Amino acid sequence: MNFQEMKDILFAAADKAGLKDYDVYYRVSTDASADALNREPNASAFGNAGGISFRCAVEGKIGSASTECIVKEELEALIPRAIANAALVDADEEPIFFLPDEGDIYGKVTVEKAQLPTAAELRRTAMELQERIYGASDMVTDGTSTAAGAAEVTVSLANSRGLSLSHSAAMRYSYAEAVINDGKEPSYGADMSAELDPDKSGIAEKAVAEAIARLGGKGVKTGKYNVVFSAKEVRTLFSTFGGIFSGKSAMLGLSLLKGKEGTAVASPALTVYDDPFYPANTMQMPFDAEGVPTYKKALIEKGVLKTLLYDLTTAKKTGNKSTGNAGRGSYADPVAIRSYCRSIEAGTDTLEELFARVSDGIYITEMKGLHAGCDAVTGDFSIESAGFAIKDGKKAGPVKAFTIAGNFFDLLKNIEAVGSEIEVGTCGFSMSAAPAMLVRDISVAGE
Amino acid sequence: MINKELLSDLLSIAVSTGGDFAEVFAEREHITRVNYVSGKVESIRDQVISGVGIRVFCGTKTYYASTSDTSREGLLSCAAAVAGAAGEGNGKRCISLTPDVVVNRQQIKHYPDDVPTKEKADILRAACGAASAIDEKIVQVEGSYLDTDRSILVANTEGLCREDRKIRTRLAVSAVASDGSENQSGFFGPGGGVGVEFFDTVTPKYIGERAAKQALTNLGAVYCPAGTMTVAIENGFGGVIFHEACGHSLEATSVGIGASQMAGKLGQQIANPKVTAIDDGTIVGGWGSFNIDDEGTPSTRNVLIENGVLKSYMIDRLGSRRMGMPMTGAGRRENYTYEPTSRMTNTFIANGPDKNEDIIASMEYGLYAKEMGGGSVNPLTGEFNFSVKEGYIVRNGKICEAVRGAALIGTGAEILQDIDMVGQNLATGQGMCGSASGSVPTDVGQPLIRVKKITVGGR
Repeated sequence: MNFQEMKDILFAAADKAGLKDYDVYYRVSTDASADALNREPNASAFGNAGGISFRCAVEGKIGSASTECIVKEELEALIPRAIANAALVDADEEPIFFLPDEGDIYGKVTVEKAQLPTAAELRRTAMELQERIYGASDMVTDGTSTAAGAAEVTVSLANSRGLSLSHSAAMRYSYAEAVINDGKEPSYGADMSAELDPDKSGIAEKAVAEAIARLGGKGVKTGKYNVVFSAKEVRTLFSTFGGIFSGKSAMLGLSLLKGKEGTAVASPALTVYDDPFYPANTMQMPFDAEGVPTYKKALIEKGVLKTLLYDLTTAKKTGNKSTGNAGRGSYADPVAIRSYCRSIEAGTDTLEELFARVSDGIYITEMKGLHAGCDAVTGDFSIESAGFAIKDGKKAGPVKAFTIAGNFFDLLKNIEAVGSEIEVGTCGFSMSAAPAMLVRDISVAGE
Repeated sequence: MINKELLSDLLSIAVSTGGDFAEVFAEREHITRVNYVSGKVESIRDQVISGVGIRVFCGTKTYYASTSDTSREGLLSCAAAVAGAAGEGNGKRCISLTPDVVVNRQQIKHYPDDVPTKEKADILRAACGAASAIDEKIVQVEGSYLDTDRSILVANTEGLCREDRKIRTRLAVSAVASDGSENQSGFFGPGGGVGVEFFDTVTPKYIGERAAKQALTNLGAVYCPAGTMTVAIENGFGGVIFHEACGHSLEATSVGIGASQMAGKLGQQIANPKVTAIDDGTIVGGWGSFNIDDEGTPSTRNVLIENGVLKSYMIDRLGSRRMGMPMTGAGRRENYTYEPTSRMTNTFIANGPDKNEDIIASMEYGLYAKEMGGGSVNPLTGEFNFSVKEGYIVRNGKICEAVRGAALIGTGAEILQDIDMVGQNLATGQGMCGSASGSVPTDVGQPLIRVKKITVGGR
């Protein structure tokens, strides 16, 4: 059944039930992947899954219901389920179903949607990555795994006011994890890319280099350190604390950025954008989960908070305009605030220059357990970390088995310098771009 | 969910191109989740998950295809897709399935679908209301009520054909306390492999108040000091230490490919003799329990470590092939879009020889970690982390001032030897564990334990 057919069934049933305001949201994805392990093909997978959600307003309250079982009877059953759910919600705001005004323009996607690669192509990529890893060092050993995959996602949205939108996007990735052993200890390195071609991505070589660089890691003494975060870890950190930019969290008192628009919340060195059309992002998105056009916006410009992110309901409640940031975690989730590609503007210092500024400190290249070690409400973090010592202004030997602790809102203010090289990375269906950063006075717990 | 003839056909197609084993997994799950924030029931997620996954083995190579299109054509095309990936040819064979009865250990009194959603919303309101009412410093309360009713069917080319139904219920409350200048948070989220009767024993009021009290404690807390110290970890969710420090490294997923620090160590003394650890998927009403796993294997009580000696791993079907060892009922997946892999169920350290009061009394200086959060591990090196949500400094054998959360880090091999006291108040806590086959419910547990030396990530 295609979206038009599902829509026809649902709209007819909704009209029959006397509903006036409703929408239908359908998300369908096709994905394929190939894994290789210890120099041999290991697994391949292919999947297609779709789910549909029906949302309606009943006496000023929103109810919804969803299913993956796309047959007429199940679709029709969504209507009474959604109506029953609406009755149980305590609402204080008239629900909004969106229709664009004349001034609303949907942005143009700048990337061409790539075809899904064949299973053979994916297998070739995974196997070539294996060969390159094993070829790069004699220390490579069992447990070395590689993967290549791709996905295509189509989102369709239609509502009772006549809105009807659909958008497809595709993404691909390759992954390399090298396990090595120098006879004394095991070590590992991993890298991921949105590029399938191992020549272009270079991830096999990077993973091996990382594994070798980690060998012989030493502990560090407990104390305060000046720290350079690698571009990858800057991306990780901002992604973990991304929720602080949610207008809804602020409204609920769950973000300390509440009421701070127009004031300095970070070092003047920091500029952060939320960009649904980031050029390197293949998952560009012209409309949000409520059908509102999306656009690029500065969240923080030279340290000053410019805006938070809003969906229609939160915007109305707080006297703002929707920023086109309504999202759904899955087709079944209620509308919530989401962000698009988070991109941090480059500074002027090369990585070496950042090390030189620090003189003595730590270069953080790995952080783990952020889902548990960070609290977005308070900003507090305490995170298992690893990286390299910085001695006399230069990168020195590997260090591990320590934590860094502090508060993210303080960290934003203590950014002294931002690196000049932007790294773009992928994580699931989202993407982000950031440079390295120098932050003073981070608490380190080690020996 | 799928009739026997069609199942046989799907299996026959799946192994027609050279596979030596095929399996069909079908699932239908109804999830109800009620969300609460700022004094209101804000939204209800009412979802039906429905789909099929077909897997083929060629030795230890696997091929998997999944679909939400459960029409006859959709399923036949899914079987053809996985067969096409596995090889070429047309060696169809007749698969004869022998459905058997799964022993049902679950005792569900009130199935979620028999209870009106209004009652569930009222349970949630009661819990969140109790959190707000405890102190005016509680400025925000978020909560969610969750229940799931999941039916699965597994059939494979060995003739296995089994169906099962699994019910889970959970209530989670997060509270934020504020003194005007800063915010602190608290969380409590118990659940069980039971129906809505769960709240007859664990009342909504208790759940809400416990989250609120933790937020208030943290509001008055000072920063946790940094460095290496002795730590006492309380029972219940404290068991996350074993889950991260050791559990993941005992899963066939990493052991079977040699990427675990625990590979090849069966029979060796890997932990302090006071440590006995068990993964038990058979516990009645357990959050991580099931009758059969997502490969059709009955759940087991699996003693992993006995008096410090490594006795067993957690092994799924593929792991069993790789390792040449029997399956332990560990094959799990979030849903049909994932291939199953070896996972934990209800995993805990058993009661030990030490009296709880002796454990605290033995500490001259250290940290008492009363409530724990989640964590993560690298099974290759055993390096793990997990976070303390509520902690206190211990001085001269007495629990003193509250300190604000910090991560604890270490390596599995060291920590297992450093657990030098094990108390007697075993209790469990509920969590969601994320890994290769998605997010699955797992129970962690332990009595109060003492770890001689661990790095505390304070400041």
